[in-house]
Amino acid sequence: MLRMIANRLATAVLSLAILITIVFFMTHATPGGPAFSILGQKATPQAVQQLNARLGLAAPLWQQYLLWWWHLLQGRLGYSYLLNRPVTQLVGDYMMNTLALYVGAILLSLVLSIGIGLVQGVTYGRWPARLIWALQLSLYALPTFFVGTMFILYFGVKWGVLPTGGITNLRLEHPGLLDYGRHLALPVLTIGLLGVSGLSLYFGTSVHEELGKDYVRTALAKGLTFRAVLFKHVLRNALRPLVTILGLAFPGIFAGSVLVETVFNYPGLGYLLWRSALSQDYPVISAIVLLIGALTVIGNLLADLVNGLLDPRERYE
Amino acid sequence: MSAVLTLDRLSVALKRGRGKPIAVLDDINLTVNAGEMTALVGESGSGKTIASLGVIRLLPRSAKVSGRVILAGTDLTSLTESEMRSVRGRDIGMVFQNPLSALNPTTRVGNQIAEVYRLHTGETDRAARARALDLLGEVGIPEPADRLDDYPHQFSGGMRQRVMIAMALACSPKLLIADEPTTGLDLLVARQILALLSRLRREHRMGVLFITHDLSIVEQHADQVHVLYAGKSVEWGTARSFFAQPRHPYSQALLGAVPRLGQTRLASIPGNLPDPETRPPGCRFAPRCAFREPACETAYPAPETTGGTMFACRRGREINPAAMLDAVLDDPAPIAAPSRGTALEVTRLHVDYERTATSFFQGMIGRKDKMRALSEISFSLGQGECLGIVGQSGSGKSTLGRAVLQMIPYQGHVILNGEAFDTMPRQRRKRARRSIQVVFQDPKESMNPRMRIGDIVAEPLKLAGMRGQRARMAQAAALLDRVGLSERMLNLFPGSVSGGQAQRIAIARALATNPGIIVLDEPTSSLDVSTQALLLNLLKDLARQDGLSYMLISHDIAAVSYMADRIAVLNGGRMVEFGTAQDVLTRPTNAYTRELIAASPHFRTNQPGGPTETMEFNPSTVQPSAV
Repeated sequence: MLRMIANRLATAVLSLAILITIVFFMTHATPGGPAFSILGQKATPQAVQQLNARLGLAAPLWQQYLLWWWHLLQGRLGYSYLLNRPVTQLVGDYMMNTLALYVGAILLSLVLSIGIGLVQGVTYGRWPARLIWALQLSLYALPTFFVGTMFILYFGVKWGVLPTGGITNLRLEHPGLLDYGRHLALPVLTIGLLGVSGLSLYFGTSVHEELGKDYVRTALAKGLTFRAVLFKHVLRNALRPLVTILGLAFPGIFAGSVLVETVFNYPGLGYLLWRSALSQDYPVISAIVLLIGALTVIGNLLADLVNGLLDPRERYE
Repeated sequence: MSAVLTLDRLSVALKRGRGKPIAVLDDINLTVNAGEMTALVGESGSGKTIASLGVIRLLPRSAKVSGRVILAGTDLTSLTESEMRSVRGRDIGMVFQNPLSALNPTTRVGNQIAEVYRLHTGETDRAARARALDLLGEVGIPEPADRLDDYPHQFSGGMRQRVMIAMALACSPKLLIADEPTTGLDLLVARQILALLSRLRREHRMGVLFITHDLSIVEQHADQVHVLYAGKSVEWGTARSFFAQPRHPYSQALLGAVPRLGQTRLASIPGNLPDPETRPPGCRFAPRCAFREPACETAYPAPETTGGTMFACRRGREINPAAMLDAVLDDPAPIAAPSRGTALEVTRLHVDYERTATSFFQGMIGRKDKMRALSEISFSLGQGECLGIVGQSGSGKSTLGRAVLQMIPYQGHVILNGEAFDTMPRQRRKRARRSIQVVFQDPKESMNPRMRIGDIVAEPLKLAGMRGQRARMAQAAALLDRVGLSERMLNLFPGSVSGGQAQRIAIARALATNPGIIVLDEPTSSLDVSTQALLLNLLKDLARQDGLSYMLISHDIAAVSYMADRIAVLNGGRMVEFGTAQDVLTRPTNAYTRELIAASPHFRTNQPGGPTETMEFNPSTVQPSAV
């Protein structure tokens, strides 16, 4: 197990290094360099030169690359052009909000997906599974922003039970956990529900597949009830593919959260990315891209570790 | 003698899709006595597994079951589902084929055994664990205390099956049902499993229903034999009288199809098993039977008794076994191509496996663990000769095949027609490789399921530069004809042919480039015995007609001895025995070879009233197979 962890960690570090390199070259090797993005396409050569000198962009690319690594290792990601704050600080604030959103959404979709998937896997080929499949498909087809907008319309405007934007009630001096929770509810519901359709379909198929395996027949031949076979034997084995896919889900969830955070005015990374992209705030954009990349790599690492716990055969690779 | 299990006119019909239920098992009457073993014998599609699932009532919900299943006085068909659950695992233990998939891969074996004990006795975890430990010891797992917390994948095939048996024994059941428990295991290991079951049933006074397609394996252990064909009993009774004189032509053919040491021709049954939908109205075996008469095809024959067996054959009493055997033995092809010289020479071959780097860091710095898979292998293969390579799993026999095929790196020389592969220029090496072809164990796995059979067979022709789809298809049809298949198969996909047909297709593909040498890597071990017999006969005839050379790789020394002129025995990557088939079989010098020979089925005489036990292996009955 230790060896497997060491292997996976080494792979994760390598992936991160490659990602960092790609992000550097994508932002620094743009035509004209970052200076053009900051000053605009109509900038005079003198102004560009001045800015390059000030930002250290006049040096050869390889020197900049090494410097970028050096700064990165110290946690320095530069300054936001737009907000004029250190990127690390800025992104750090927004990240906590995003993590709360992700954890809530993932937990919600996991619980729902496992429940729905079990029913679907067990009734595979009969009407409950078919009905579920139809629901999954129609839910999958709904665009995120539409669902979010509808939630705002009903929960926020029509029934007035939940806040429709922000992270806290600005009128409260010391917003409590409950207030955070109420603000989280709709974005979490939107992202979580949209994840359910895919994940539950995936898990349902996995349950159905496991149910067809020989060890299920063995367990039934021991005299176990079907329910016991399902929960003691099948569930754990069926979870493995679900864990793998969850580990790789971060970029997908993030893409969804850009829209959802924007719709809900929720101060998370997605919202920040949207605003930074509008104003070409490259230091912030690249920091967010790096962060999402890191989350993906870490998510994948976690998935591998969880799978190692679930399945002993994974531990000896 | 008290009956533990009685099947009284058990019939099962299965529904496929929306259609009417189709009878897959018809009126089976069968008894298993306490402390005895009843062998339920049949090939794929005979309904034997349906019968066993019918006993423990684990058939699909749509199955229609009639008749009675009486376990120690209780009719299981009258129990409620919850009553039935307390019978499963407590009164009936099940052992399935392929224990790797039949055990839960993610649960420790100790827990899997303890689970069934706890369930039926309500004992504590601690007591159940102690019981699991006892059971592992009883089924012969060395150091059971150390293995209790291991997972199924950490055991070898034979040991895994012992774990399955321990699990089935946990509640001291009255009946143990073993469904093909030895299929897929090496012969030596299979024998050990059977001996274990025999010991356990005596010690526990437990009835054993042993389901198998291989009559030879139960010959020394079964008390009763019950032969199924296409869902119907064809012959049943005491093993003693059955093996002394099988009456039904199918039983006889099945026995004759098993390769035995000293056999010169295997019995083969023409045709295929009928589908459940199109079973003939009369005797189901009639369309493939050499003794059929018009009456056989209209009405199912009433069972008749003789000695200790009953058989359902109109002519079972009159046809004598010798005539029966003659009828199922076809004539071997005449030898058309006498031997000429050396086809292949292998000198001082070594193969090291570089184990994949055990950690990322080791991979980065290029450190690799080396394992010697083969060392110091030298032999030559004559034109038209069949060389048998025998050994158990892990002995290096498949590695040797792959090295000869130039699929893996090796040290030493593989010399084809006087020229070593390693010194040939690239272009010539590419061409030379065409003259060695291969047939693998699992024919369906080795074919692309989305390609038509015609294209599969013709693919080597295409690679060899043959132009024109029409010409290639004509050639493919000719190849199919050589292996006894119709050209109508050209447009089918691999999914719609049987295992035996698929293996013929694989042989046709191997023949496409007109190779001198074919490496046969366990070509028949996934097939039923009668299909295996057909295939081995076909291979033998092809060799005799065309002077083909074979390297036949197998764990079954009897099958090898049927084919091979010379035999090499591999153990732990070394050649421990090498010589003519006759020498190896009659004067083995190596202890391992002797064990292999002792475990193999031996030639049986077919005289009426002849010896009931298999005959002792007698060197004088061994005839060297013709070259």
